[in-house]
Amino acid sequence: MVQGLVRLALLAVLVLSGCAVTPPAEKAEPVTASTELQGSPAMALLSRAEQARAQGRTGAAGRYLERALTMAPNSSWLYRELALLRLEDGDGHAAEGFAQRALRLAPDNDVYRAELWELVAAARAEQGDRSGADEARARAQALREPDRA
Amino acid sequence: MAKNAKKPASARKGSARRPAKSGNKRNPRSGGRRWFSWRFLAKVSVVLLVLAAAGMAYLDAYVRDRFDSHVWQLPARVYARPVELYPGRVLSRNDMLKMLELMRYRRAGGAPTPGSYTTDGNTLVIHTRGFRDSDGGEPAQRIRVTLEGGRISGLQSGDGDSLARLEPLQIGSIHPGHTEDRVFVPLERVPPLLVQMLLAIEDRDFYEHHGVSPRGLARAMVANVKAGGLVQGGSTLTQQLVKNFWLTQDRTLARKLVEMPMAVLLELHYSKEQILEAYLNEVYMGQDGKRAIHGMGLGAQFYFGRPLQELEPHQLATLVALLKGPSYYDPRRNPERALARRNTVLKVALEEGALSDQQYQRFRERDLEVVPRGASPLYAFPAFIDLVRRQLARDYPADVLGEDGLRIHSTLDVLAQLAAEKALSEHLASIDGSGDTLNGAVVVVAPAQGDVLALVGSRESREQGFNRALDATRPIGSLIKPVVMLTALQQPKRYSLATPVADEPITVPLTSGKTWTPQNFDGESKGPIPLVDALAYSRNQATVRLGMDLGPDAVVRTLSQLGVEKTIPAYPSILLGSIGMTPFEVAMLYQPLATGGFATPLRSITDVLDKEGEPLARYPVDTEEVLDSGPAYLIQWGMQQVVEKGTARAARSVLPADLKVAGKTGTSDEYRDAWFAGFSGNHLAVVWVGRDDNENAHVTGSSGALPVWSRLMAGLPQTSLPQTPPPGVKKVWMDPSGKKTSGKGCSGARQYPMLVASIPEQSDGCGSATQVKEGVMEWFKGWFD
Repeated sequence: MVQGLVRLALLAVLVLSGCAVTPPAEKAEPVTASTELQGSPAMALLSRAEQARAQGRTGAAGRYLERALTMAPNSSWLYRELALLRLEDGDGHAAEGFAQRALRLAPDNDVYRAELWELVAAARAEQGDRSGADEARARAQALREPDRA
Repeated sequence: MAKNAKKPASARKGSARRPAKSGNKRNPRSGGRRWFSWRFLAKVSVVLLVLAAAGMAYLDAYVRDRFDSHVWQLPARVYARPVELYPGRVLSRNDMLKMLELMRYRRAGGAPTPGSYTTDGNTLVIHTRGFRDSDGGEPAQRIRVTLEGGRISGLQSGDGDSLARLEPLQIGSIHPGHTEDRVFVPLERVPPLLVQMLLAIEDRDFYEHHGVSPRGLARAMVANVKAGGLVQGGSTLTQQLVKNFWLTQDRTLARKLVEMPMAVLLELHYSKEQILEAYLNEVYMGQDGKRAIHGMGLGAQFYFGRPLQELEPHQLATLVALLKGPSYYDPRRNPERALARRNTVLKVALEEGALSDQQYQRFRERDLEVVPRGASPLYAFPAFIDLVRRQLARDYPADVLGEDGLRIHSTLDVLAQLAAEKALSEHLASIDGSGDTLNGAVVVVAPAQGDVLALVGSRESREQGFNRALDATRPIGSLIKPVVMLTALQQPKRYSLATPVADEPITVPLTSGKTWTPQNFDGESKGPIPLVDALAYSRNQATVRLGMDLGPDAVVRTLSQLGVEKTIPAYPSILLGSIGMTPFEVAMLYQPLATGGFATPLRSITDVLDKEGEPLARYPVDTEEVLDSGPAYLIQWGMQQVVEKGTARAARSVLPADLKVAGKTGTSDEYRDAWFAGFSGNHLAVVWVGRDDNENAHVTGSSGALPVWSRLMAGLPQTSLPQTPPPGVKKVWMDPSGKKTSGKGCSGARQYPMLVASIPEQSDGCGSATQVKEGVMEWFKGWFD
C-alpha cells in the first residue's frame, strides 16, 4: 500500500515536471491461454480440461491439466487453471500454492498479476486466513492503481 | 463386485428331506428274519438317501457360494505412466523402439491390429492398444509419429489433435494374503478360436452335456487305447473347473465322489457361458516363483508378453496345449514336448474346421515364440512397487487390494527407471567388479509435480529385498550445506553469496562438556572465502563457522521450512550433516530447492480406477510456496557452481555442455556414505552408495555417487534450470573482499546474483560508474513495468 502511494506520487511528479514525453507504461496485451500456449500441444489438453470442468468432471480436468504441464512446464496460465480448479474443489491450500506458482511465472502484465493475487486472496479466505487474504487483495489493488492513473 | 453373502442351505435341505421321512413311517408288519432284513435294508437306504440329500444340499450351497464369490478375486494391478507422445517431446528413435519392444508391440506391415507397428525411415506407424484413464483414456488407434533430431517432430492421430498416448505398461500386482494371480478376460473378449480349440481338445460335447459326459469318457478311452497312451482325459470342462476351483489335485476317492455331482450342480445353476468364462479365467497355467498363474489372460501375458486378444493361432494353441500339464508341457522348460502337443492342438483344430488347411500348414511351422522369463516388466521394479504399496496401504485395506481388481496408475517412467538401474549397477561394478561389498540406491523425481519417476533400492534391482531407497537411513553429510547456506541467504542484510566466510580451524564447545573440532576434507584451511565457494568446494570449517553464526536452531528451522517433518536436535554436528535420512527423504528435502521454492509431496500414484476402468480416486498434485523467489534463486545458483567448478565438476564432461544443472556432493565420516543430490529443470535425482554393514566404503560423493548421477542424467531428456533472475535479484560485480561493489574487468572482481538488500553501498571505485548507471536504469525501468 505504502509502495503504491509512493509510486503514485512519483508518477505524479514525473507528469507534472513535463516528463510526459516519456511514453507511459504501454497498455499490455491481455494475457490469455494462447499468450503462452499458442502452438503447444498443451493447448488441446487445456481445452479438454475446460470442457471436463464445465461438465463437473473435476478429476478428469485435473488430469488433463497435469498432463498439459508436463508439455509446457513454465506456463503460468496452466497453474492458474489448476488453482481455479482446486479452489472449486474446496482445496484452498493447493489453490494458493498453484496461484503463487502462476505468479512466479506470470508474464509482465499488471492486470493479469492482479487477477492472480485475487486468486491467492480467495484461496487464503477458503483456508480461513483472513489477514492473509486482505494482504493478497491489497497487492492486487496496488497493481491495478497505475492503470487508473 | 460379487461378494455375495453365504446362502443358507436350509431351504433346500427341508424340501429334500420330506419324501424320505414319509417313507420311513411305512412299516406295517413285524417279525420274521426276511422281514427284518427287508426293513433293515429300507432303513439303510432311507438313511443313505437322507445323507445323500443333505450332502447334495450342502454341496449345492457350497458350489454356489464359492462360484459367486471366488471367480472375481483379482489383485490390484500397478501400471507405469502412459507414454505421452506429442510434437516437441524429447524422445530418440531408439528409446521409442525400446518402449515398443518392452510393451511387446509387434512389427507388422501396415500396423493392422492394436499392438503392432511399422517403421518407414524416421516415421513410425503405431497401432495403439487404447486404455481407460481418469480423463477417459485413449481409444485404440493408428498414429503416425515422426522422430527427428532426438525429438518428436510430427504426430498425426485419429482425432486430429497432435497428441496420443501408449497404454501404461503393467509393472506389478498387489496381492496380499494369497499368491494367485490372474488377468480377468470377459468371455466376449476371448478370441473365438481359443474357445474352439479348447472345446475341440478338452470337451467336444460341452454344449450338450449336463456337467458329465459319458460319451466323452467313452471317446477318450477309445482314443487312449488307439494311441496306446493317455492322449485325452475324459472329464468335462465343468469337471475340470470343479477340480480347479474347489478340490485339491490329489486323486482321492472322496474327491472323485463329489466331483461329478458338483459339476452337475454347477450346470444346474449357471449357463454354459458363465462356466466357460470361469474356466478360462480360473484354469491353472503355470508357476512364476511363488506366484501361481491362473487363467488365459495372465497366461498370455506370462508366456507371450501380450494381451490374449493379440495372440496368433499357434500361440493360442500353445495355451490350450499347456492345460494337460502346465509343468510337463512348459514351453520354456520343455519346448519339444510343448511344440508337439501344440501341433496336436492345431491338428485337432483343423479337423474340427476351426482352422483352414492353409492356416494349419502355416502355423504349425511357427516356433513357440514364448518370451524369456526375465524379460517381463511385471515384477521387474520391486523397489518402486514397494513404494506404491506403502502409499496405497494408507488408503486401502488389504482385502480390497487383493480382490477388487483395482488399477493403480503410477508415476513410474520406465525409461528413467532402466537408466537409473543401469547407471548404478555399471558404476558399482566398475568400482568393486562383481563384488557385493558396495550397494546403493537411486531416486528420480520430476520435481514440479513431485512424481517419482524411478526408484532403485539395490544394485540387483530385480531382486526383492532391502529397499535402500526407502529404508536405509544414513547420515547425509555435506548434503546439508545448501540448507545452511540458504539459512544465511534468507537474511539478505547480513549475508549474500559474496559474503566472506572464514575457512579456518574452529572448536565448538558442546553441552556435554566436550568440544568438536571439524576438519576439512583435504585437511587444509583456505582462510576467508566467499560463501558460495564454501558451498561449491564443500568447505567444512567455513560451513561450521557460518552455521555457528546463524545458530544450529536456525538451520533446523530451515529444514522444517523445506518440509522435513522429523524432529532434528539443534546440535552443532548437524551443520556437517549428522542427520540420518533415507535417499527418498533427501529427495523430499531437495524437491523445493529444485523448483525455486515450491514444496510438493512426492507421489507414486496418480489415479486409482476400478476393474472396469472407472475412476475411483485421484492423487492430485499439491504445492506450497515455502521459499521466496530471491533466496530460492540464489541457492540454485550456488548449487550450480558446485557442478560448474566445485566438487561435482566431473559431471560437466558427461553432461551436454549447455545444460544447466545444480547439486551437492556428500560424504559421511570415514567414507561410509557417498551421496549426490542434484537437479536439472525437469529431473531431480538422489544417489546413495555405501555398504549395508556401515563399514568404510572407500568412496566419496564425487567418486561413488556423482558418476552414477551424471550418467543417469545424461541418459534422460533434460531441460536447463532457469537462468533469469527473479525481481529483486541483480547481478553485481564485487571486489575480492566481498564487501564492496566493483566492475567488470576490475582486478579480482567476481559477479554474483544478489538480493537488492544485500548490495553494499560502498564501491571499490573501479568500474563502479557503469554498474551504478546500469542499476539506476533498471531501477527506473522497474517503475514503468
